[in-house]
Formats: sequence, C-alpha cells, structure tokens
Amino acid sequence: MSDKAVPSSAKASAAHHNASRVTRHALPYFPGCALKDQARGFEDSARAAMAALGYELAELPRWNCCGTVYSLATDDLMRHLGPVRNLVRVQDLGETRLVTLCAMCYNTLARSSRFVGADPERLERINAFMDDEADYRGGVEVVHLLELLRDEVTFEAIEAKVERPLDGLKVAPYYGCMLLRPREVGIDDPDSPGVLEALLSALGAEPVDFPQKAECCGAYQTVSSPEIARARVGEIVSAARWAGAELIATSCPLCTYNLEHHQVEREERETRHASPVTRHEIPILYFTQLLALALGVSEDKLGFAGLKFDPRPLLSDRELV
Amino acid sequence: MAERIDGDALRVTRDAGMGSENYPSRVSRHPLRITAREPDFVAKVEELCGENLYACYQCGKCAAGCLFADHMDFLPNQVLRLVQLADEAVLSSRAPWVCASCLACEVRCPKGVDIAKVMEALRLLSLRKGETGLRWGEIPPGVPQIALVGATRKLTP
Ligand code: SF4
Ligand code: SF4
Repeated sequence: MSDKAVPSSAKASAAHHNASRVTRHALPYFPGCALKDQARGFEDSARAAMAALGYELAELPRWNCCGTVYSLATDDLMRHLGPVRNLVRVQDLGETRLVTLCAMCYNTLARSSRFVGADPERLERINAFMDDEADYRGGVEVVHLLELLRDEVTFEAIEAKVERPLDGLKVAPYYGCMLLRPREVGIDDPDSPGVLEALLSALGAEPVDFPQKAECCGAYQTVSSPEIARARVGEIVSAARWAGAELIATSCPLCTYNLEHHQVEREERETRHASPVTRHEIPILYFTQLLALALGVSEDKLGFAGLKFDPRPLLSDRELV
Repeated sequence: MAERIDGDALRVTRDAGMGSENYPSRVSRHPLRITAREPDFVAKVEELCGENLYACYQCGKCAAGCLFADHMDFLPNQVLRLVQLADEAVLSSRAPWVCASCLACEVRCPKGVDIAKVMEALRLLSLRKGETGLRWGEIPPGVPQIALVGATRKLTP
C-alpha cells in the first residue's frame, strides 16, 4: 500500500524495544459503511497512523454492513447474518482477529461473534441459513483499534514515535456508549474509562476530564426524535466546553455526526432566541486524526476536509499544522 | 385483556394532574394502578428478551441513570414493573421508543436485568403487529446512513 511506505521511512531505525511485537503483519480490518462515506477521514488517518507504527490495516475482502445496531432479541438470528458473514471472511483468510475503527461496527460485530460462538446449536442454525458460505466455526476475535494500540502496540511505544507532540492541546475524550457497554465487549470501565486519556497523554495532549464522556449522544434517535439528540449534545458539548476543551475526540461516526450537527443547530437556536453569547464551535475529531498528526503524518492524509468544524486554525495557532 | 383482578376494570392509569404534557418532569410520575392482567404477557416478553423479569426489585437505579428518562412517560423501572404485573397497557408507553439502547442501565442494574433488552422486546411486540416508531415523512434531511440504518432497525417492522 502506498500510504504505508510514506511515514515509516524516517523510522526504519526505530525498531526499538518493542520490535518483537511489531509484526508488520497485515491486520484484517473492517471499515464499515460510514468510513467509506462521511467518516473517510477516520479511515485515512487510521491507515496513515498505523503505517507510521509499522502496521498495515488490510481491508477485509467482500465485507458487508454490520447492521450498525446489535439485535437485543432472542429470536432474531437473522440479524446476526450480516456480522457473521464478515467473520467468515476473516476465517477465509486463515486469520482469527478482525480490527475495527467505528465503535458501532465494533460493538455489533463483537457481540454477534460472542452470541453465535457461545452456543453450538445457534451456530448450526446460522450456518444453515448461509448455505452459500463456508460454515463459520466460531472463534474470530473482534478488536477495536484502541485496544490494539493499548495492549499490543503500547502507548509507551507510541510516545517514543511522536514527532509532533500535541503540547498543551486540550482535548475532551468522548467515548459514548458502544466502546464501553455491555461489559463483555467494553474495552474499558463502562462508567469511568481512561484509555483515550492515556493515548492523548502519550501524544503530548492534555486530556480534559468531563462527566459526560461516557454518556449517550442520542444515537439513532437523531432520526426519529432529533430534539432528544439535540438536548443530549447540548449537555455533552457544554460540559466539555466548561472543562476547557478545545477539541473533542471520538471513535464513532454517529457520535461525530450528532456532536457536529446538533452543535450547529443549538447555536442557531440560541442566536434566534437572542442570546448575546457568541462562541466558537468545538471541532470534533476522530482520535486517529490526532494520533496521525502527532506521529508526523502529512496534513493531506489527516482527513480534516470532511470535518464540519475545521480544526486547522486552532492547530496552526499551536504550530501543529 | 384476558383476566381482571378483583373484577376491577381499571388498567394502568395516568394522573392527568401530574404532568400530562409530553415531557413530565423527573419527579412527577404517573402512579401505577394495575388490575387488568394478561397472563401470557410476562412469558411472552421474557421469551423475547431472555431476561428474568421478576429479578427486578424496583430499586430505580436504571431510571436514575437513564439520560432519556426525561422524555419518557414511564420510567424504565416502571416499565419493568408494568411488565411484571402483566399489563399490556405498557405497549402503548412512549418509553420503549425513546430508549436509545445506550445500555447505561444495563451496566448498572444490581440484579443483572438488561432493561434495554426488555425495551427491545416491547418494541418488537408492537412492530410485529405492524406499528412503527418512525414516520418516513418526518426524517430530517441529511442524516447519515449509519443513523438511518440504526433507526430503521430499531424502530420499524
Ligand atoms: S436497576 Fe434493575 S433492579 Fe433496579 S429497578 Fe432497574 S431493572 Fe429493577
Ligand atoms: S438503554 Fe434505554 S432505558 Fe436504558 S438507560 Fe439507555 S435509554 Fe434508558
């Protein structure tokens, strides 16, 4: 891959203490629909950042939509077909692990994998449904990139590779729901997570703590009851603002949409109601964009163009772009 | 309704004097008065959600942490209670449609009840009768695919 070679050139010699764990092995990776559309910058920046760390995110062949939300009913086996077909693709490659970026894809795939893997009878019924596929044998582990960075790449190794420390940048880490709940698939404590903070600190940024970091953004209610999502986003963003955040980092294209869209809506409504407050909007970035930035990835690969609120004025103010 | 307790015809009633508007405040909730029972209802919901509904001891922790409770007519624990009491009137509650499956309640319930699954079961009972929680004409413009797919999977038959 062309984007693999670029940032790692200067770092060929940086095969330091962690060399044994840096496999340079291509990691089967599931992008999901949003990362091919409104969240392109998430994928682009993740690929570039991983290349800088010596990994290749290798897109799963013939992947399909995960379904975005996990079915919570006992009799809805049909809804697990989408996720399981993707797991069959991983199995076809002779691999046992699938890396995800989108928090919703992660949750849906990881839960489905556990659900069908937990019961041989269930697995058999699923396989009977998919008569055009090789039987899924179970055992594919779905991991989120943040877990991989924490447990395998390690934040120490990342810190050692930082070329552009995000000094003094105040970032509110926003987890939302799907990275943390339920516990069986959560990558961190469901009420008081810290993995994003640890990553941000490794990058030199200043993580800003705020109580709403693991609260729901309104999710798909943005379609049916946008006023509810707007209220949620209002609470989240104003709390981050109060805590001093200049940026919010997310791991979910739906959180990002809600935080961006309803932030504007709120500002508009508040202005209409003659509020004298003029405030700048807080840019919402994917955590991979900050990671790539700190690792020295060139600006054109950071995917800032797709963001609603351009972080570049702030970043150039800090001499980061 | 198949059966009535003590011959009383009352079903779940909402007190019109205590926040009959769409968004009742957190404290003024509808008192629950149950008398009409559908004996198969509890079994039906339990089968669909896979949870032990009688495990709930009404501590209210789910409701205390639910960020969507302000928009619900019955609090999550009240929804649970209505199901325990086998009152199908719970099917006309707004709560399951407002629930965003955020799982804040799921990780906190001291009795291990997954309320999000109960909410889903209640939605499905309505959806499978052809009801919908999403009116196509009212979808805001510009919502991304990830939101549309999520909403249609949760809120439409
Ligand atoms: S937290 Fe659990 S036990 Fe307590 S009221 Fe809610 S469902 Fe019942
Ligand atoms: S899953 Fe539903 S009921 Fe539970 S806290 Fe979230 S919105 Fe409330």
